[in-house]
Amino acid sequence: MTFHPRERRIAGGIDRRAFLRQSAFTAAAVAAGPSLLAACAGDDAAGGGGQAVPLSRPDNPVTLPTFDDIPMIADGLEPESGPLKIFNYAEYIAPQTLRGFRRQYGVDVDVTTFTSMDEAIARLSGGQAPFDLFFPTTDVIAKAALGRLLQPLNASYLGNSGNVWTQLQDPFYDVGAQYTRPYSLFTTGIGYRVDRVTQTPDEYDNPYDILWDPAYSGDLYLLEDDREVLGMAMLRAGEVDVNTEDAALVDAALADIQALDDAVNPRIGVEAYTILPEGRATIHQAWSGDVVNAQYYLPEGESIENVGFWYPAEGGGMIGSDQMSVLVGAANPVLAHLFIDYLLDVDNAHTNFEWLGYQPPQTSIEPASVVADGLVPAHLDTTVIRPEDFDNGYQLLQLSLAGERLWDNAWSTFSAGA
Amino acid sequence: MGQRVVDVQRRRLKPRDRTRALWPGLALPGVAWLLAFFVVPFYGVLAVAFGGLDPIFGNAVPAWNPLEWDTTVFGDVLDRVVNAELREVYLRTFVYVGVALFLCFLIGYPVAYYVSRFGGRRRGLLLGLILAPFWINYLMRMLAWINLLQEDGYVNDILTGLHVTSSPVNWLEGRAVTVVFGLVYGYIPFFVLPLFAALDRIDRSVIEASRDLGMGPLRTFLRVTLPLSKQGMLAAAVITALPMMGDYYTADLLSGSPRTSMIGNQIEFFLFEGSQKNAGASLVVILSILLMAAMAYYLVQTDRATRELHRS
Repeated sequence: MTFHPRERRIAGGIDRRAFLRQSAFTAAAVAAGPSLLAACAGDDAAGGGGQAVPLSRPDNPVTLPTFDDIPMIADGLEPESGPLKIFNYAEYIAPQTLRGFRRQYGVDVDVTTFTSMDEAIARLSGGQAPFDLFFPTTDVIAKAALGRLLQPLNASYLGNSGNVWTQLQDPFYDVGAQYTRPYSLFTTGIGYRVDRVTQTPDEYDNPYDILWDPAYSGDLYLLEDDREVLGMAMLRAGEVDVNTEDAALVDAALADIQALDDAVNPRIGVEAYTILPEGRATIHQAWSGDVVNAQYYLPEGESIENVGFWYPAEGGGMIGSDQMSVLVGAANPVLAHLFIDYLLDVDNAHTNFEWLGYQPPQTSIEPASVVADGLVPAHLDTTVIRPEDFDNGYQLLQLSLAGERLWDNAWSTFSAGA
Repeated sequence: MGQRVVDVQRRRLKPRDRTRALWPGLALPGVAWLLAFFVVPFYGVLAVAFGGLDPIFGNAVPAWNPLEWDTTVFGDVLDRVVNAELREVYLRTFVYVGVALFLCFLIGYPVAYYVSRFGGRRRGLLLGLILAPFWINYLMRMLAWINLLQEDGYVNDILTGLHVTSSPVNWLEGRAVTVVFGLVYGYIPFFVLPLFAALDRIDRSVIEASRDLGMGPLRTFLRVTLPLSKQGMLAAAVITALPMMGDYYTADLLSGSPRTSMIGNQIEFFLFEGSQKNAGASLVVILSILLMAAMAYYLVQTDRATRELHRS
C-alpha cells in the first residue's frame, strides 16, 4: 500500500495518521482495529459484478467502466444550497481557497478528513461516508470506480479543465477523464543536509547510493511506504518497472534494502519537512512538497539553504499525482463539480499552491516562475515538476491483490528487522 | 392438600436461599461485558483471520461460520512466525517485554513497598504522584522524551555534564535500550499499583511475628514479605505485560528502526496499511494464544494460592 505525502507528521514529531490512530486505540485495541470492525460491518462491500480491477499503465491505458444506474449529472443544473461536503486529507486545501468558494457561491463547505487512503476507501466502501467530493490517489481510482464509489464527471461544468497539463487531461489511468481531474503533483527524491554531507547525491556514481552509504549510519530516514522504498531500490538497480509483480524483482529489491539496513540502520518515517530543517537527520528519502514545506519549519537561526533535494535532473525518478472525484450519492453533485472547476482556475490554483507546497499541474505555473515568485527557494528548484517529468518518470500504480501481497510481505520482512 | 403445601413451600424460597441466588446474579453485568467486549470481538478477529478478502477493495470478508474457515493465510503466517522472519520479531518482543518487566520490578517494587509500609499519612499523595503521569496523554509524554533524548537534549547534557559519557549519545538512532526504557516509563504505574495493593494487604502482625522470632529486616523481607507478595507481583506482571506485548507506538516513536520493531508494529502494518487484513488478524490470534498461556499460568497460581489460603 502506498503512503501518501499528506500522511505527514504533526509538528512535534509524529505523523497525523499515527497520532490519530494511537490516540484512539490502546495497545489492546490493536486486536480489534477499525479495519476489522469495518470488515465485520458487512460481508462484502465490493461491487463491480465480479470484474477484476483494471491495472492501468502508461502503455496500457484503461477506460474505466461506467454503470447505467450511476449516470453523470445533467447539464445546466443550478447549484444546490449545500453545504458542500469534502472528504480529504487534513490540511490539503488552503483555507483561503475554501473561503473564496464560500464567498463566490454563498454556501458552506464542510471538510471531513481521513488519515490514510486505506482508511478513506474503507469508510467509503463501508457506506459510512456521505460526502460529495473526494481526493483519491491515482492508484485507487480504478478500484473506486469499479467498486461504484465514484460518479462520472460532467465536463460541461468543468470549463477550466484545459488549464492542466495536456497529458493529464486524458490520462492513461482514466481515459477520457471520466471520473477524475488532477489536483496536485509530487516527486520522490532524496532530501539532505547540505551542510553535513560530504558528497551530494549527484556526486555519487549512482545518486541513490547515498542511501546505502555507511557514513550516514543512524542518521538516515526512509519513507514509511513499502512501494516508495522498494521502488527506489529497484530504480537504483536499474529496474524501472516499479509496479512489477515479478517475485524475483521484489525479492531482489528486498535484499537491497536489507543490505541498506545492515549498512546504515535507517529509521522509518514521513517527517522530512521537520526532520531536515531541524537537523535530526542528514539524509531523508522525501517527497518534493515536504521539502518545499521545510522552509516553514525552520528552527530559529536555521537557513533553508542547508536543506537540499535531489531528483534526477534528466527525470526518471518516482512521480505521482492526486485527483479530484465526485462521489456516488453526493447530495451536492453540482457544487462538487463547481468546486473542482474552482480549483482548476489559474488564480485559485496558484493561491492554493502558495499554502499547500504541492504543485498543481497548471500550464500557467512555469518552473522558472515558481522560483521567481518565491514559492520555492532557488536552490530547491529540483522540487519543481515539469510536464516532461511525467513522460520519463515512474508512477506507483494499482497492483493486483496478489501483487499487493507480494510487496506487503517484502515490506513486512524488512520492517521486522530480520 | 398436604402435597400442595409441600409444593408451595418448595416454591417459596427462604430469604437465605434468595440471597444465595442473588450472588451469581451479580456476575451478570461482568459476564455481559465480557461477552460484548471480549468474546464477540475476539470471535470477530477469528472470523477475519480465517476469512477472505473482497476482490476489489481488499477489505476483510469475515467467515462467521467456522465450517467455512479457510486456514491458508493463518497457516502461512504461522509458518513465518515459526520458521521465518516473524519469529525474530516475536522473540525480540518477548525479550523487550521481559527486560522491561525486570526493570519494572527493580524500580517498582521498592516504590510500592515504601508507599505501603512507610507512606503513612502521605500515601495518598504518593499514590497521586505515581498516577500523575496518567494525567498527560501517553503520546505527549513520549514526544517530550523525544526532545529530552535528542543529541542536544537535557539527558545528554546531564550525562556529559556528569562525565558519564564523553560525548552526546544519539539515543533515538534506533536503539533497543531506548525502546525498553520507553516501555518501562510508559507502563510502570500499571506495575506499581497492583503491587502496592498486594503489599498493603499483608498483615503487619505476620511481619512483627517474624521480627519477634528473631529474623532481621532482610530475612523478614525475603522469607515473609516477598513470598506473600508473590500474587501481587504476578498480577502486576500480567497487567503490565499484556499492553506491552501489543505496543507498537513506543518503538515507532523512540526508534523507528526495523531492528527494534515489535510484533505490534507488524500487526499495525497488516491491519492498517497492508492488503492482508486476515494476515494481521492471524498475528493477533497467535499473539493471543501466547498471552493466554501466560494468563493460564497466572490463573493456576492464583487458584493454588486461594486454595492454600482456605486450607490454612
